[in-house]
Amino acid sequence: MSARDAVLGAVKAALGRSRPADPADPAAVAAEALALLADPDAVRPALPGTDAAVAFAARVVSPKVGATLDRVEALADLPGAVRRYLDGQGLPHLLALQPDPALQGLDWAGFELRDAALPDEAAAFGLARWGIAETGSLVFHSGPDTAVLGHFLPLHHIAAVRASTILPHLEDYAAVCGAAPRNANLITGASGTTDIEGSYVRGAHGPRFLHVLLVAD
Amino acid sequence: MGTVFKRDVARALSDATLKTAIDRTTVTAERKRAAALTDYPQFAAARERGTRIKDHVVAHLDHYLLEFERNATASGATVHWAADSEEACRIVLGICRGAGARRVTRSKSMLGEEIGLPHALEAAGIERVETDLAEHIVQLAGETPSHIIWPALHKTREQVSALFKASHRDPHKTEDVEAMVESARRELRDRFLSAEVGISGANFLVADSGAVCTVTNEGNAELTTTPPRVHIVTAGIEKLVPSLAHAFVLLRLLVRSATGADLTQYTTFHCGPKRPGDLDGPQEFHIVLVDNGRSRMLADAGLREMLRCIRCGACMNHCVVYRQIGGHAYGATYPGPMGAVLTPALQGAEKARDLPHACTLNGRCQEVCPVGIPLPALLRGWRDRSWKDGLVPQSVRSGLWLWRFAAERPRLYHLGTAAAVRAMRLFRRGGWIGRMPLAGAWTRYRDFPAPAGRTFMEQLRDRERGR
Repeated sequence: MSARDAVLGAVKAALGRSRPADPADPAAVAAEALALLADPDAVRPALPGTDAAVAFAARVVSPKVGATLDRVEALADLPGAVRRYLDGQGLPHLLALQPDPALQGLDWAGFELRDAALPDEAAAFGLARWGIAETGSLVFHSGPDTAVLGHFLPLHHIAAVRASTILPHLEDYAAVCGAAPRNANLITGASGTTDIEGSYVRGAHGPRFLHVLLVAD
Repeated sequence: MGTVFKRDVARALSDATLKTAIDRTTVTAERKRAAALTDYPQFAAARERGTRIKDHVVAHLDHYLLEFERNATASGATVHWAADSEEACRIVLGICRGAGARRVTRSKSMLGEEIGLPHALEAAGIERVETDLAEHIVQLAGETPSHIIWPALHKTREQVSALFKASHRDPHKTEDVEAMVESARRELRDRFLSAEVGISGANFLVADSGAVCTVTNEGNAELTTTPPRVHIVTAGIEKLVPSLAHAFVLLRLLVRSATGADLTQYTTFHCGPKRPGDLDGPQEFHIVLVDNGRSRMLADAGLREMLRCIRCGACMNHCVVYRQIGGHAYGATYPGPMGAVLTPALQGAEKARDLPHACTLNGRCQEVCPVGIPLPALLRGWRDRSWKDGLVPQSVRSGLWLWRFAAERPRLYHLGTAAAVRAMRLFRRGGWIGRMPLAGAWTRYRDFPAPAGRTFMEQLRDRERGR
């Protein structure tokens, strides 16, 4: 008997399924699962106010997330905002830029750009697909225009997100995300650890700084 | 195990540094969790919902296992099944050998510890690099984790500093925690990028997509699973959830209960290997579904509720026993209240008989459990079995027989307690008893409160007479 048969057989026996091929009615199971998601407001924190983008902006800079935030009017303003941030940090205008056409088409004159982050990259910049107001999370989907390592290798992670893509709650992301990408990364602040005596330190393995650029569009 | 447990407890209790280390982390954890719940008045309702979601999955585990396997396979993953820890390790080692792995990075997984994967990799001559900061500390010290969220909780910063200085290529120069974390960052960076295989656990397996969820605050899971050519997930079969939305309900509970944050910094859903056009990611994606005693727990009405456990660690942070003895004294992968229930189920009651007895039944664990596991009742269940299976030592049996004999004869009982209360007063020093014959096991570590001058029944009688 294969391990698969052994495990499934033991599970079925434990559940008292009369015949090995006796599956629960899939439609009934699905209906029961769906019922468990009813009235989501009863089990999630309420947002302050009604504007998700406002709540997101407040959340991102709160101690719970601990990121910094800058606002721009349009995508075209992003290179200027990135320059402001790098200047403020005393960093050169050197950037691993996510190869998203929406970003690559901007005017990056004066920047030295790379497509992929180096192991010791100082700064990387990307565009999140969504923001989530409840938690202050940025959501990236891996794909031909988004590398996963771009969010993890740099010391400074700079991420833009459009105000129109800010979702109120985690469930709202589940509703709009579509077919699962290879990696869906929900990023909520910079890398941190409490592994030494419970004291909180940033920049454990991933970025030490997260800077969010909120695009009004 | 009986004597081993008692020996390890004695050792832990006489280690003053250990007590300091345990308090530094658990006190903070308790405070942060309490603060997180203050900001989340929906916690009670969410906990009830989370409990129902886990119970639903457990009741339809066969259905969800098959749905997950179907969707994970469709995403390009290879799904393996392992009935026990040996089989799971054999599968992982087989994949590593097939990938020609010399170096393997590992993101913290308690299931990996449970099945003995760290040892198996080393025995196979494969270099194992633990990437979670705490697991890295534990690996350098040649130890095992003492907590499921903070594996190096038993280490003080001074001990960590000494370990890093002895083994890091470019260690920290100043004695602050920031500099130590930076030292580990420098040390591990090139390891992440040069491993042939990355191994992670799973916090959730999402049935309707075949995705595997990992949560970390350090970002080490993604650095472990993205660069290598092969990503292997080892996961217990109870980790299933129906969908992403169900995972979110449980994530809110998990993270607040574990660290007091609202969400982990990095919450990632991994679905299959690198796709055409992808810029990075593993070429092969393997998922090993491990039973290792879980189907036995499913069949057992006295243990089934334990399959709800989402491994947050809140029960141990709030446990008076754990906070005295730490995790290592439990002698197994899972310490604290959840460990005292799980270990006898995984290793056999005869090997872990002492664990369910190392509990005051104060009920704090059940109060803080985010999925309402009745841990004290499950622990009492183990005590019952231990009695029925004749695993309770003769000395305890005789003592209990004697007590019962007296308790069934009220006059004898009152006579006995009256005599005992008076005898104990002879050893009293300022309201406490520091030493007394037959009480050495207690008074070795702490004083015993001296009893009042008369028994409860004597005092009650006096009161009823209006005195």
